[in-house]
Amino acid sequence: MDRTELGAEPAAPMIDDAALNAWFCGQVLPLEPALTSFIRSNWRIAEDVLELRQDIYERLLAGVRLELPTNTKSFVFTVARNHLINQAVRARIVSFELVADLESDAQVTDLCATERHLDARDQLRRARDGLESLPPRCREVVRLRKVEGLTTKEAAERLGVGVDTIERQLTMGMRALVDFMLGGSGKIVRPRFAGKRQARL
Amino acid sequence: MNASHIEQEAAEWLMRREEPDWSPDDQNALHSWLERSLAHKAAYWRLVHGWQQADRIASLGLDPATEPPSPRSKVSWLPVAAAASIAGALLVGNLELSRRVPIAAAMPVHFSTPVGGRRTIPLLDGSKVELNTATVVRTAVSDNRREIWLDQGEAYFEVAHLNGRPFIVHAADRTVTVLGTKFSVRREGDKVTVAVIEGRVRIDDASKPDDVPTAIITAGDVAIAEGASTLLSAKSEQGVVATLAWRDGILNFDHTSLGDAAAEFNRYNGKQIVIGDSETREIRVGGTFQASNVDAFVRLLHEAYGLHIAAKANQVTLSS
Repeated sequence: MDRTELGAEPAAPMIDDAALNAWFCGQVLPLEPALTSFIRSNWRIAEDVLELRQDIYERLLAGVRLELPTNTKSFVFTVARNHLINQAVRARIVSFELVADLESDAQVTDLCATERHLDARDQLRRARDGLESLPPRCREVVRLRKVEGLTTKEAAERLGVGVDTIERQLTMGMRALVDFMLGGSGKIVRPRFAGKRQARL
Repeated sequence: MNASHIEQEAAEWLMRREEPDWSPDDQNALHSWLERSLAHKAAYWRLVHGWQQADRIASLGLDPATEPPSPRSKVSWLPVAAAASIAGALLVGNLELSRRVPIAAAMPVHFSTPVGGRRTIPLLDGSKVELNTATVVRTAVSDNRREIWLDQGEAYFEVAHLNGRPFIVHAADRTVTVLGTKFSVRREGDKVTVAVIEGRVRIDDASKPDDVPTAIITAGDVAIAEGASTLLSAKSEQGVVATLAWRDGILNFDHTSLGDAAAEFNRYNGKQIVIGDSETREIRVGGTFQASNVDAFVRLLHEAYGLHIAAKANQVTLSS
């Protein structure tokens, strides 16, 4: 593939990726804790929550390609509500309470009360707590990366283990730490697909 | 598409992008991966953003408060897998020791919750018990026994594995024995309901100790024991999850009669729902409800079924 394609944009006059990214990180992600608990309290299967949240993020990005919303918060929860209703209908979940609750704005407002932006000190404290809550090996690998700036190969040498092991621990640690930074529990999710599967195309 | 899988792929990209051998070809490959789906973008951007927020840990440097410098971590990273697992075992052993120190004699300790209450009790052996509304338990945990009596109500247990030492729950005339699992026990008079999330659970009839074990149930099973009989419901993880929805303050109904649904609500609230006539009692309801929100439930019944509501001080009567 030619390098010039890198920055190529689709023909339609759309919000470009930089703006989309800025909107997503700056305005949507701070709502993540509220969105997560909104999903959790309106969906009976706890295991579905991450999947639903990811679907909602995807729909949000798709929904703003032509224009960014003026009120992100209400847009996010409208999309979330519609998605949950659609999923409920598809799963044939008989639940008028689900629908009724989702209709009420009070709940959304309530949930957003806990939303807040982290200042630098909060961020540091949070990063530190997140790091400390990782399992020991994972924590060490993340620390070598973030604090000492080692590459995976250097970390592997330092710790006397294979690069595969470092990669597995590091991606696991990244995911948990990011979840924690964004207000989640920071729980480790072990990849269900063994390390063999590469993201490379 | 599986969200966890996408997130893992995104994490792999992010990790590789930070490596010094990241090439224009890699960049192109990442670009096309991102272009393939907005789900990829969402997952990747989210990780990049959160990972960046964690950059501040770098400023901690070798702050002694974070992590003692290398020697200890070196030990747990010995290259041989066996050595690593020994180190792991040692670590667990230490934790266990430090946990055990404060364990006094096995004096039974009382714990309870009021109506509408919910409370988690960490036990000295590392296990956890979460009490639902109006529940009474006694615990006796020492070096050589781990026993709990569920005198009333419902509790969820997360039992720590401890060298094969059994953990025993007594409820009515049933004895539930586990090694290390997650499960819940509910007691209504002599009726005992056991739901298993993880692992295996053995249910014995304590009134007939010489008989063979009554039942061994595993994850996804719900057993209802009363008198001489033990009924095992069809295996359903969703069913078990529904049974445990109270841990989030939620009630789940699926073709439940209004009579039963009202009884469930009444467990959690001072305000009691009374059903005025038998026809109304038989109405089937389904859905997910907040256990504490009697008013919303009643309002919905009024709107959906046109039921009449008569409210008194601490009581709501519903009738057709």
